[in-house]
Amino acid sequence: MSGAAGGRQLRLGHLPGGLRLLTESDPQAATVAAGFFIASGARHDQTGGQGAAHFLEHLLFKGSEALSAAELNERLDWLGGVHNAFTSQEQTVYHIAGLPEDLPQLLDTLRELLRPALREPDIEAERGVILEEIAMYASQPGVRVLEAMQAEFWGTHPLGQSILGTPASVGALDRAALDTQLQRAYAPHNVLLVVTGALDEAEVWSWAERELGQQWPWPASTASGGPAAESAPSPSGQIRQLVWPGLERAQGAFAWPGLSAHHPLRPAAAVLAELAGGENSRLYWTLLDSGLADSADLGHLDFQDCGSFEGGFSCDPDRADEVTRLFLQTVADLHRTPPTPAEVASAARRLAAETGLRADTPAERLFVLGLENLPQGSERIVTPEDLTAEFAAVTPAQVQAVLSLCSFQRPTGALLLPGS
Amino acid sequence: MTFTPPSARPAAPAQTSARPVVPTLPAAELFTLPGGLTLAAQPRAGAAFAVSLRLPWGSAHDPLGLEGTAGVLEEWLFKGAGGRGARSLANAFDALGLRRGGGVGAEATRLSLSGLNADLPAALHLLADVVCRPELPEAEVPVLTDLARQDLEGLQDTPEERLALHTRTEVFGGPRSAAVGHAALAGYGHPVSGTHAGLSAINAATLRAAHARWGAQGSLLAVVADLSAGEILEQVEAAFGDWQPGAVPKATEPHFHAGVRSHLYHPGSEQTHLSLSWPSVGADHPDYLPSQLALTAFSGGSASRLFHAVREERGLAYAAQASSLLLGSQGFWQLGAASTPARAQETLDVLLAETERLRAGLSAHEFERAQRGLLTGLAFSEEGLRARASAMLRDLVLLGRLREPGELHAQLRAITHEEVNAYLAALPDPLPDAALVTLGRAPLHLSTRELSA
Repeated sequence: MSGAAGGRQLRLGHLPGGLRLLTESDPQAATVAAGFFIASGARHDQTGGQGAAHFLEHLLFKGSEALSAAELNERLDWLGGVHNAFTSQEQTVYHIAGLPEDLPQLLDTLRELLRPALREPDIEAERGVILEEIAMYASQPGVRVLEAMQAEFWGTHPLGQSILGTPASVGALDRAALDTQLQRAYAPHNVLLVVTGALDEAEVWSWAERELGQQWPWPASTASGGPAAESAPSPSGQIRQLVWPGLERAQGAFAWPGLSAHHPLRPAAAVLAELAGGENSRLYWTLLDSGLADSADLGHLDFQDCGSFEGGFSCDPDRADEVTRLFLQTVADLHRTPPTPAEVASAARRLAAETGLRADTPAERLFVLGLENLPQGSERIVTPEDLTAEFAAVTPAQVQAVLSLCSFQRPTGALLLPGS
Repeated sequence: MTFTPPSARPAAPAQTSARPVVPTLPAAELFTLPGGLTLAAQPRAGAAFAVSLRLPWGSAHDPLGLEGTAGVLEEWLFKGAGGRGARSLANAFDALGLRRGGGVGAEATRLSLSGLNADLPAALHLLADVVCRPELPEAEVPVLTDLARQDLEGLQDTPEERLALHTRTEVFGGPRSAAVGHAALAGYGHPVSGTHAGLSAINAATLRAAHARWGAQGSLLAVVADLSAGEILEQVEAAFGDWQPGAVPKATEPHFHAGVRSHLYHPGSEQTHLSLSWPSVGADHPDYLPSQLALTAFSGGSASRLFHAVREERGLAYAAQASSLLLGSQGFWQLGAASTPARAQETLDVLLAETERLRAGLSAHEFERAQRGLLTGLAFSEEGLRARASAMLRDLVLLGRLREPGELHAQLRAITHEEVNAYLAALPDPLPDAALVTLGRAPLHLSTRELSA
């Protein structure tokens, strides 16, 4: 379909059943990577059923009607490469990398993942694993402060739903609820399969047409896994105070409204966050170089219908007031002291280098290809090279335009302090 | 249960043209520069380069009483170099679009850069400025030692980090008596951030003395770029040609405290965390590769013994894993897991039962999967730019030379199932010597066997 940098060949299209396939053959690659990218995540969990998307992600590794969990795990290990999965707010991703000669088995195994049997004993064992995962994160102060900030910022917006869910919501999810979730979220129009690396494009397409084209496990559903309507969050504008006995460090986390993944100024928003809170940034020189805090950062997160700037710090408890004031002032000052052309150029080059150098191997390229091309609507294939070029081309005027769309005057967040 | 890889394969297309040929790298070459720096130069086609410099000075080499020296010194190097102040040095890295990596470990300090080919000469000069010509402004020392103190205190707040910190102290802490007669080294008992006492004692003079030791002698530089090995050498000589030798690097060995049992009360954790360590073989031991293969079967994937028994079968923990640890010339196995208090003892009991069962050997299928896992891992370490630079440094540290292309592949292929099972059968029971460290609201017990002894 189209050629790209380094002799890579790209092809994107629909299979007869509605599922999309993107292949990138790379003559320089020595390995191959493949992944199913599902346009459904925690924000699509039903009210009271928080944690369903994540629970389902775990259960896909428990085997199909044809394979037990143990057999599936043995196949995955036999392939030898790295395999894993993750659930985020808007996506669920299953990925694997291996040797080119094992590609047929690798694809067959991935296909089997998406036909889970959802056996009751497997669901019960995995529920225990997830409850342990919830306990693990709940024991980390950094996660607690982030969750408190997100609760203040997102409120009842679906993007505020916890990915893991709570012990109560996970305890209440049964086979029927999980099966409903599976059929709704994994309908073919929500699924993109990406295969990249040392591959034969024709072989992969003929495999996919035969194995995935006609016989998707579920009919194309009319229910969408996507957000019901475009919506912006209504941040509380409050800074919630939390106390944790015995803590050594104070931590702050804050958010402001940002831009959506489809906004033309998305790269400029990322550059703005980088010059404010990346390496060699305003927050670095204000808080880290001075030694007032041992971490301070700001980033831009983009979702399908909205976005956010999120950042935070860690410092000595007796410096928390001063560091909070300086952190918020440094961010708000982006309006009063606009970024200079040198700051913009420096941050843009850093992000371009980071993106470009991180797209070296098929296992690295897979994520950019999958996450960037999962939303439908454009026939253009987005590559890591496109992202690199977008960052490199960001201008001071575009960064200024982001500042006129997004205000840093009214922070929402949380502050975690030691208590007695 | 037996497993045979699926036999159904997609039919090969009629036109057999396009099965990609896996590219192989040209051989890397080794050079030694006059000051003693060893260069591994790897030509590789592509738009980008990767450079990784390894100085043989890590936190284990911190002088006794000056714990934190390597970590603070590494930060100090970036506070200005080559006539530039801190800001203008940071801007110089950004101007070239360089990606920086590395950091201080127990054994060594690594400084890594990657960027686009045309910028390699300038990147090497910047790196040489940082290492050989830092400004070392005295006013920064109190700030940097205070940042290290903050980092050290931050380790107390997360259960995983606090457990790792406590394990270092209790299991690997204390200088070796062999160091008597020389300036004693602090060893492996403290984190890179140091200790409160060490950070209070560090000053500009002690740091300058450490910097004078950090020289070309024993340092290793890996460069992967789209140039011939000779061209890479020329660029490195231009940047690092006048780097002084520094001090002779010192070998340091961990002081393993066999049989330690230690519990740390941590009420903020909803789980009980555990770490179990025992001595294994070092990287130069003939059993090293068989031991790595056994470890892969034990904990290297979703079908591995620990993952299956703890997570898949019983749902006791989110993660339970074993890893190998190389400290000095010695090797260790370290097991770790975390479960809520009501299930934590069962998690530990399952880990112990699986450890005992491992000595009875692997099945043929387990052996095959583990061998394939290690071989596939090799392909990944050859493919990425930065992975290739790291692999060359690892060869030089562990073997003192670069492996021939295909050498490790052939060694892994040559290991037999019988050899691995013979290695496992000959292992002594590791538990009497094992060190157990736990963290949470209540301690765990090693075994009923031990309690009744």
